[in-house]
Amino acid sequence: MVQLLNNIQLYFHVDALAFVMLLLVGIVGLSLMAFSSRYLKGDSRYRKFFLTLTALIASVFIMVTADHIVLFLVAWGCSDLLLARLMVHKPNWRAARASGWLAVKNFAVGWVLIGAALGLLYFQTNETSIQQLIHATYDPTILTIALGLLFAGAMTQSGLWPFHRWLISSLNSPTPVSAIMHAGLVNGGGFLLARFAPLYLETPKLLTIVFAFGLVSAFLGTFWKLMQNDIKRMLACSTMGQMGFMIMQCGLGLFPAAIAHLCWHGLFKAYLFQASGSAAQEKRLDLGYPPTLSDFAVALLCGFAGAYAFAVSSHKSIFVADTNFFLVAIACVASTQFALSILQPLTWKRITIAFFSTTLVGTLYGLSVFCIEVLVKPLNIMQAQELNSIHFIGLGVLVFCWMAVLFRRHGAQPAQQSDLESWTYVRMLNASQPHEKTITTHRNHYQN
Amino acid sequence: MVELLQEPILIHKRKKKIDIAIEQSWSKIAPFWPLKNLIAVNPLAGFEDLPFEEALTKGKAYFQEADLPLPMQSVNRETIKWLQAFFDEGQAVIGMPMRQNGLFQAVRHLLPYDNRLWPKDNKILTWLNHLPEDPLEVIPDCLNFLEITGEQQEKFLSLLLTTLPGWAAHIQYRTSWASGADLKHNYPVQKADYLALRLLLTCLLWPSAKELLGWHEQALKKAGTKSLVSNMHKAERLYRQSLLQKLTTQSLQQSEEPDAQLVFCIDVRSEPFRRAIEAQGRYETFGFAGFFGVPVSIENDITGESHSSCPVLLQPAHHVTEYPLCNRDSLKKEHRKWQSFQKLYQSLKYNFTTPFALAEALGLASGLSMLKRSLWPGKRLSVPHSHDWKPNLDSISYEQQCNYAVNALRMMGLTSHFAPLVVLCGHGSQTQNNAYATALDCGACGGRHGAPNARILAAILNNVAVRLHLKQQGIHIPTLTHFIAAEHNTTTDEVALYTAEVPGEVMPYIEALTTDLQKARLQNSQWRSAELGLELDEQKAKKHTATRARDWAQVRPEWGLARNACFIVGPRTLTKQINLGGRSFLHSYDWKQDNDGSSLTSILTAPMVVAQWINSQYLFSTLDNTAFGSGSKITKNITGKIGIMQGNASDLMHGLPLQSVYMNDREPYHEALRLLTVVYAPLKRIDAIISAQNILQKLFGNGWVTLACIDPETHEPYILQRDLQWFKA
Repeated sequence: MVQLLNNIQLYFHVDALAFVMLLLVGIVGLSLMAFSSRYLKGDSRYRKFFLTLTALIASVFIMVTADHIVLFLVAWGCSDLLLARLMVHKPNWRAARASGWLAVKNFAVGWVLIGAALGLLYFQTNETSIQQLIHATYDPTILTIALGLLFAGAMTQSGLWPFHRWLISSLNSPTPVSAIMHAGLVNGGGFLLARFAPLYLETPKLLTIVFAFGLVSAFLGTFWKLMQNDIKRMLACSTMGQMGFMIMQCGLGLFPAAIAHLCWHGLFKAYLFQASGSAAQEKRLDLGYPPTLSDFAVALLCGFAGAYAFAVSSHKSIFVADTNFFLVAIACVASTQFALSILQPLTWKRITIAFFSTTLVGTLYGLSVFCIEVLVKPLNIMQAQELNSIHFIGLGVLVFCWMAVLFRRHGAQPAQQSDLESWTYVRMLNASQPHEKTITTHRNHYQN
Repeated sequence: MVELLQEPILIHKRKKKIDIAIEQSWSKIAPFWPLKNLIAVNPLAGFEDLPFEEALTKGKAYFQEADLPLPMQSVNRETIKWLQAFFDEGQAVIGMPMRQNGLFQAVRHLLPYDNRLWPKDNKILTWLNHLPEDPLEVIPDCLNFLEITGEQQEKFLSLLLTTLPGWAAHIQYRTSWASGADLKHNYPVQKADYLALRLLLTCLLWPSAKELLGWHEQALKKAGTKSLVSNMHKAERLYRQSLLQKLTTQSLQQSEEPDAQLVFCIDVRSEPFRRAIEAQGRYETFGFAGFFGVPVSIENDITGESHSSCPVLLQPAHHVTEYPLCNRDSLKKEHRKWQSFQKLYQSLKYNFTTPFALAEALGLASGLSMLKRSLWPGKRLSVPHSHDWKPNLDSISYEQQCNYAVNALRMMGLTSHFAPLVVLCGHGSQTQNNAYATALDCGACGGRHGAPNARILAAILNNVAVRLHLKQQGIHIPTLTHFIAAEHNTTTDEVALYTAEVPGEVMPYIEALTTDLQKARLQNSQWRSAELGLELDEQKAKKHTATRARDWAQVRPEWGLARNACFIVGPRTLTKQINLGGRSFLHSYDWKQDNDGSSLTSILTAPMVVAQWINSQYLFSTLDNTAFGSGSKITKNITGKIGIMQGNASDLMHGLPLQSVYMNDREPYHEALRLLTVVYAPLKRIDAIISAQNILQKLFGNGWVTLACIDPETHEPYILQRDLQWFKA
């Protein structure tokens, strides 16, 4: 026992990645504790909720700092189970139980996959320390299989297609539980990949597959998000899309960028969940779509400026054709969109404002990404890959979809819709429905 | 030849019968207003023609059944999916195709693509592809297919509505109650549309749905509500006896000349505040419907938005634009700036690809803001500045203005002894992140804030020409008397006085009143904090209520109209010495000034009916918070910006949330009592009014409201029985 205590530091490893995760979970956890202390007032499971939430946060703390693979696996499993426990806050409500059960099944699959992956790596090296594992050398086939399993496990955790169903069926949870799920636990996938990044960087082909899977989720998640009619499922689908993007960043070899995304998106989404009670008060404004071509052209120029500012402030070279280009291109799309809403109607004054504010925002955006990248720099997991055709296809899809929303028919819809549109709408609507058992199909099945 | 002639007549007959069945089935459904103006309604309004006990039994069988046949649940699931998509008022960016053609047309177009409904069956697909355009043709076809005939049809259609009651209630609102701008909706819906959709889905998913009729028969048989009713009777009797005893022992002494008179809304939250301000000095208070008798729609000159601001029983008769009294240009500029900022955010959020960058760019700011709002909810970063508004009364003619003035003053019994300052005080709530915010606002103003209406009546009553007319009518308002508008913030108990155009000689009264309103705020905040379970000193209570109003995590910002129990029609002197505990709607009324009973008729058929709606809403939300309320706020999910679902997807949860009527998951705060109306007027006059008004016979005769009368001559209390006979209490 004494020896165990003496050696306790051997089971943990606190590096920059762990530090960033501790900070994120700490901030979100603290905020949610305060939020829930009032939000759940009068709830009959108030005490239990706080005990479980505290245990969950503690368990996540252990998970992100664990170095021993068994400790890591135990903490990972505990965190997921505690999360599922929190999801079923109203145990008499059968839809909530079904949501929890669905999540548990998904987590179990993920846990087995990760366990198998770590087992493989262990049997290759006889090492139980993650830090040792990620710097060991392996048989390439075994390594690819192990990393593939690990990636599949990451996908279950982050609700990526085809493991997304539990995530978009998870909204029978109390709001703060959704917040910690979307700000914390679903990020587990990204964290896992970042943790094992040194190994992934040795298998560039696998990274491309990771990228492709990320792209599918980024596309589907965003598409579904845009067609959801209720606030919480919209947020859930949006998370799925954002997780897809984070995985794409991993696939590009830009793990620090993925960690930055994970953190900032986590805070953003936690905020949006807590604020979801205001959804009815938010009024959608007419965004003036489609823009005229001249508006768009000027916006694109401002977008280049924004992208350049982003590249400079986040210390990315835009002249080298590596995967950093991808992030700069995304910044360019966002900057163009940003400038576009300032530019309408087109005047010299507005062009000036748009140009400078886009540059400023591009800079700030770059800095926010850069500050996380600096934090995790010692890990040396920022290794841009060579651009390949899959990357260009991915970029093409993202840019095309963005332009399609901008330029599609707007205003008065025609009386007849094309068959393809209707077909797509209905299929996508069905695909983005929660699991049927998690829907409260009879009002009185809801049980407080 | 004969056959040919007969056929159209047969079809015609069949159609007529089905029309009646449709109408009858919808008559069971009470409306449910959208979140932007939640109006309290009786969820059993469709059964008000029945005695209360019988309605409870029906309500139980229709709405409170613990389970539902499994295939019907599938029908519900698919219905919810389509209704969520159709009734979306701005959540989704990619909307349901063909929506502008109406619910049935859109669904008729889309169902053939829905592979969840017709797995691998081409016959069904062909049928779906060749559906008639008219829902009124689809309904009988489907009923035939389900082998439901004759009398059963109406019952079956009713069950299709009552097995998903919340959504049906929203459609009832859209088709029967939406007014003004909401009436001309971009996405039209008819009652038959919805029934046709329900029937189509039922045919597809549960061909033997006829069994639902048997299921309902079983439910009717076992529905008993005896113990519930007897418990309620007991509590009601206790409350009634104690209230009447207090009321009849009052001596109605007119107090000295007041420094100011304040007119509040009849809302139960006004009563404790009136007590608090009366305690501060020589103040006389009145109770009157919070829309101040002016049925208007209000347009905001800065934002260009408009809304109806009168009880939903009325249609707005005038459209009034309100202008800010100062820096209109800078306000407009500010509004435009805010809008551009929102556009910027929305354009990045609701597109492909850009949200990835948006999340990264806003992460830090959201994190900081989240910490601030959760850890320091009371701190305010910027102080919102309120400004005074001036209504443009051009749309109300002089004659109409005179009419509104006379009626309002007569009805509230303020026709003489005017104080130098008369305050018309509307009310509104202040909450954060609260989907149910408008349920706490003024019901008489259609679920909105009441200040605009107060400003309109104040402007009318300050008009010299109107006063001249009033003088001819025998209402003499001294030249010195000035009317001002105000708004009572029911969450913080602050009162904003709108005093921009006040003559100098009234200012001292306003200054004194302002100080006293501060004191009243302290007193009432303290009392309300205690009701919320916190014993605080006055200053702490003030801070506490202000924090609640600003807290985004707060699920009980205020108690709203919980514990409402009675509606008292009479002079303030009748109730002034009694602590009514914030449970009473108080309507001022002086029977001596209402010889023809017209004021009392108005009071009993309009404000009292609204009070009964509110009372029933709280009553039923307390009795069964799942069937008639909307469940806990903590798992709520806002759909289409119109209403609440529980979790992933559910029925539209109409009614009040658990937190509005319960202290905690187990103990109700609201006491489930039916409304007790007490009128201080001669028996005979009340009798005459009841015999002329069907609605009153229905409400009193069926036991939805108990009427008590305190006879001004004898000061004896009488109670009206179900057979509409009086007995001495």
